[in-house]
Amino acid sequence: MDHSLPQIADPIPRATPAETGRRPEAPQFTDDPMLDRLYGVTLALVSELAVTRSRLDALERVLARRELVDQDEVEAFVPEPAAADARSRLQAEYLERVLRALE
Amino acid sequence: MSSPSPWHTIGRHDVLPATKHDDRARFDIVAHLNAQIAQTLSPRVKTAYEARARQAFRLRHGRDPVDRHEVAEAMQREPAYRVFSLVRRNTMEIRQHAGRQLVARQAEALRDRAKWANDGARTLQLDPTLEAPRYVSAVDTHLMRGGYTAERMTDDVTNPANYDAGMYTTTGGAGGPWNDAAGRALVDWLKREHPQFNPRRIVDLGCGLGHNTLPLRAAFPEADIVAIDVSAPMLRYGHARARSLGVSDVTFMQADATKTPLEDSSSDLVFTTMVLHETSRQALPQIFLESHRLLRAGGLTVHLEQPPYRGLDPFEQFMRDWDGRFNNEPFWSALHESDLPALLVKAGFGAGNVFESRCSALPPSQTVIKNEDFGRAPSWYVVGAWQAAKGIASLG
Repeated sequence: MDHSLPQIADPIPRATPAETGRRPEAPQFTDDPMLDRLYGVTLALVSELAVTRSRLDALERVLARRELVDQDEVEAFVPEPAAADARSRLQAEYLERVLRALE
Repeated sequence: MSSPSPWHTIGRHDVLPATKHDDRARFDIVAHLNAQIAQTLSPRVKTAYEARARQAFRLRHGRDPVDRHEVAEAMQREPAYRVFSLVRRNTMEIRQHAGRQLVARQAEALRDRAKWANDGARTLQLDPTLEAPRYVSAVDTHLMRGGYTAERMTDDVTNPANYDAGMYTTTGGAGGPWNDAAGRALVDWLKREHPQFNPRRIVDLGCGLGHNTLPLRAAFPEADIVAIDVSAPMLRYGHARARSLGVSDVTFMQADATKTPLEDSSSDLVFTTMVLHETSRQALPQIFLESHRLLRAGGLTVHLEQPPYRGLDPFEQFMRDWDGRFNNEPFWSALHESDLPALLVKAGFGAGNVFESRCSALPPSQTVIKNEDFGRAPSWYVVGAWQAAKGIASLG
């Protein structure tokens, strides 16, 4: 089984200056460009955590509606191989999203 | 400003991208981030200016800042402004990225749905020989990669689909489920200020995907409406969207707003909504000249925009200029410093026929919005002119 992380890139990459003849635009708001990047990652994390919490909320409500939610079963959950692969892809997409500011 | 409306309340049509739970949740958090910027971070910038930065400027210069450039000088090291800018810029980046992911994975399906809806209709008039002006094609407007004109495959509609789906997050739903607040505001203004005005031919210059064209259709059902844009993807998507919404008699025409193929004196209403700030110093007067050329005697040209900087408090000018500095709006600052009434006179309209006004998508009693996020509330500056009988204009 291949455990390497799938290669996921931004679906629509930024055009290069050679392609457009334009200056790359890169405003810098702090004195240290690394700090700007850190803000970028942090804010992406902020939004992704909100998405995740919304999804958990949706899931729990759907399960509760069907009287299916069992907290112990969730705590003990280990994914099957196919589920683990799907999770791996989700994680790769997730990293591409939250690390956008480092591109 | 109240809590943003959830994305799932957006108006549905056949070419709107299909979304999953996380796409909707991602747009929702972006809308909440924008609301937070307006309600919390933006007031802190003002507090920092009044409490510290202006005082420091006074100590250095012996007076207050007199224009936005001096406010910028006073504010450039102010942490509250830097944080505001970092969060606002990144929120836009996150919104664009979410939109890219959403449309890229269904690009072919969106193309096919648009093609099916358009189905060779004569009301979609594309001109493959038209070269988009550089002020459109060379700018990733609002950080949208490739801008309005990008085509990644034949019959591509991905950028307009991204624009349509994500715009809701910038306004928090203030534009209504169809993002057509400017069109509705224009209709409301026309009906209130000029109830007798009944245009037979209406031209929307720079219609984009036609958000603000369709309210004119509903308000003037007898009129012949031509929606013009330089971008084929926007027109393909906009035409398909309109048909899906039951509107099949608006012509979507690919042309340059400075030189349309329409005949002289052929139109009664020529308008733009939030287009002028996305043109250029050279194109702007040409668009006014073209409006003048197209209008019949008694016709009207109207342009909805953010208000000019003149007369505004220097701090507000500075805050309103944020999009010009950091949201890829290269003509934003110059447009808001232009004397649009004077340019209309120069284009041939009589000085006595040129006017400035305000309009809003909300009833007048509800137009006071707390913490308007500088330029993102559904309220606009109106500048326009009436066409006198030919040969009389110069006497105005």
